Amino acid sequence: RAALRCRYLLCEIVSEDPRCRQCIDERAVGAAAKDAVARTHGDYGLACCSISFTVKYLNAYTGIVLLRCRKDFYRLLWSALPFVTYLENRNQRYSCFFNTLHVGGTIRTCQKFLVQYNRKQLLLLLHNCTSEGKQLLHSYILKGALLHMDFVLCCMMHVFHFS
Amino acid sequence: MAEPGPAPAASDRLVLKNGSGHHYVKLRLEFQDGGMRLNAAHFKQLILSALKELHGEVGAALPVDVLTYEEKTLSAILRVPSSGLVKLWSALTLLGSYQNRKCAFRVIQTSPFLLALSGNSRELLLD
Repeated sequence: RAALRCRYLLCEIVSEDPRCRQCIDERAVGAAAKDAVARTHGDYGLACCSISFTVKYLNAYTGIVLLRCRKDFYRLLWSALPFVTYLENRNQRYSCFFNTLHVGGTIRTCQKFLVQYNRKQLLLLLHNCTSEGKQLLHSYILKGALLHMDFVLCCMMHVFHFS
Repeated sequence: MAEPGPAPAASDRLVLKNGSGHHYVKLRLEFQDGGMRLNAAHFKQLILSALKELHGEVGAALPVDVLTYEEKTLSAILRVPSSGLVKLWSALTLLGSYQNRKCAFRVIQTSPFLLALSGNSRELLLD
């Protein structure tokens, strides 16, 4: 008996508009992905990808999204993601694009990849930080506020925008 | 005492990879009420819209060619790459209407070789 196999697509939502972040929620992201699949692969594609389709994880600050779909149809979803051009929430539209980082068979493999990816991002951001930003970051560390990897990344991006 | 049966014949399986790469489809468009005329461009547009509805932009990008078209009988011969035959046939099957008139595509014959579509043994007249 074959178990129900799924594929998890780890994506990053990239946008020039900083207000796009407030638009990122499960409903908007799911709707944008499904709409792209409907346009690219028609009724058949939409129906195939909608089986066990969910947004499993979402981080509005870093723009990381984990989408799940059936193993047989993950290519339909994967090929449709570049056709997402905007996210819509409460009649507000913000243009953005989806950058697929990793495709995994389980949530755990995607999580492992995300930790490695976040580490690399931290190094890059630290490299681009000005001295003022680094001071701010040091103050955060001293306060003991930086414990969780995601939170570290959020703070880094916050600091980066200020510097 | 049972007689031993005939020895099983040794069989070979020959798999022919289709070298032609295209499939040819002979079909006819039927309207429920009849009397509808389409020119070749409208006919092709109808096929493409059926593909677009069921298979999206990727389906509509399928290189379908209308090789012959008869406006009186609304019958045509299409050519499609073999990888796209399933998409085309399923899209044609699920098309239900044109300009709010009920219609259906009847696929009469399909073959990887165009010559096979020239004759139909069902309509063969033996003198």
